[in-house]
Amino acid sequence: MTLHGIIVLILVGLVLMVWILDLVRRDRLYVGYGAVFIIPIVCVILVLSLPQLLSYITRLIGAIFPASALTLLALCFIVFMLVYILTQVTIVSNRLAVVVQELAIQRAKDANNTNALNSPRAGDK
Amino acid sequence: MRVLVAIPAYNEEIAIERIIREVQKTLRDFDLLIVNDGSQDETGQVLDRLGVTTATHLCNLGYGRAIQTAIKYALRYNYDVLITLDADGQHLPDEVSGLYNANKNQDWDMLIGSRYVKTHDYSQVPFGRRIGMRLFSLLVRVVTGHHIYDTTSGMKVMRRSVFETLTRWRFIDFHAESIVFLLRLGYRIREYPITVVNRKQGRSMYTALSHITYPLKTSLIMLLSVVQAELTRRRK
Repeated sequence: MTLHGIIVLILVGLVLMVWILDLVRRDRLYVGYGAVFIIPIVCVILVLSLPQLLSYITRLIGAIFPASALTLLALCFIVFMLVYILTQVTIVSNRLAVVVQELAIQRAKDANNTNALNSPRAGDK
Repeated sequence: MRVLVAIPAYNEEIAIERIIREVQKTLRDFDLLIVNDGSQDETGQVLDRLGVTTATHLCNLGYGRAIQTAIKYALRYNYDVLITLDADGQHLPDEVSGLYNANKNQDWDMLIGSRYVKTHDYSQVPFGRRIGMRLFSLLVRVVTGHHIYDTTSGMKVMRRSVFETLTRWRFIDFHAESIVFLLRLGYRIREYPITVVNRKQGRSMYTALSHITYPLKTSLIMLLSVVQAELTRRRK
């Protein structure tokens, strides 16, 4: 990779990191999700800063060019993030379903009790 | 013995009143619960007017969750038996007593009201659905060794013994996947012949897209049911 390319990628990583940290600070992003982004960004900056490490990773995954290795890693990260986000959506939707069910059951029982109280008992006039 | 009849309903403003009146007339000794699964039509108002016990989901959670709400209700308020019926009027409430008595006299954990157990004849079902029903029946047989002819029936009698188990895991529609799960855990399930009349009013909950997604989702969750049942058995 050219020095120019490495500098651009590091700058993009740093801007992303500042943006994510700011979102966490303003409570717009859960700290756990922030960490999921920050850790790979730091790793990429580290890899780009150490050319020998980048060459080693390129050889390790069988890529010819360092840029191809980085693209492959980025795709893996995107797939991982998609699965992670969908699991979080599923967890939230399951929690919501439980709340909706509990509320429905409670309200049904309350309404039933109210009906029983309001209905005239045997012998009442 | 406390018995709860539960009817999940989603946008059934036209059919629901008739089915409730029939249940109230024919099943006087049983309690009735309607699970209004976030209906957007006048179903809620019809239920309010009729004064039946209703568990209302604030948003639509799907058929499986509606059945699960009924099971949770039955479990919490100490019912011994839960009977489920569809709200579209396809099941005849007259037949519930027969189904209930058949289960009462035997030691089954779940009794399924089946359209095909007597005749094994699927010819009345549209071609696509027929293939699906045969496939699910075959899959159930392969993974459990039991032949269940009607895996998609919404008319079931469940005993208290299965309530807790059925609230512990996520089922799509309480069809083949719940049958596989229970059978693999050693529960006893049988079928009992019933009549099903064609839907006269309202719309089916299955859309054109769900005819493609339903078999895929159900097959996947069926296979996972086998794994989940095995893990549950080992934990016990």
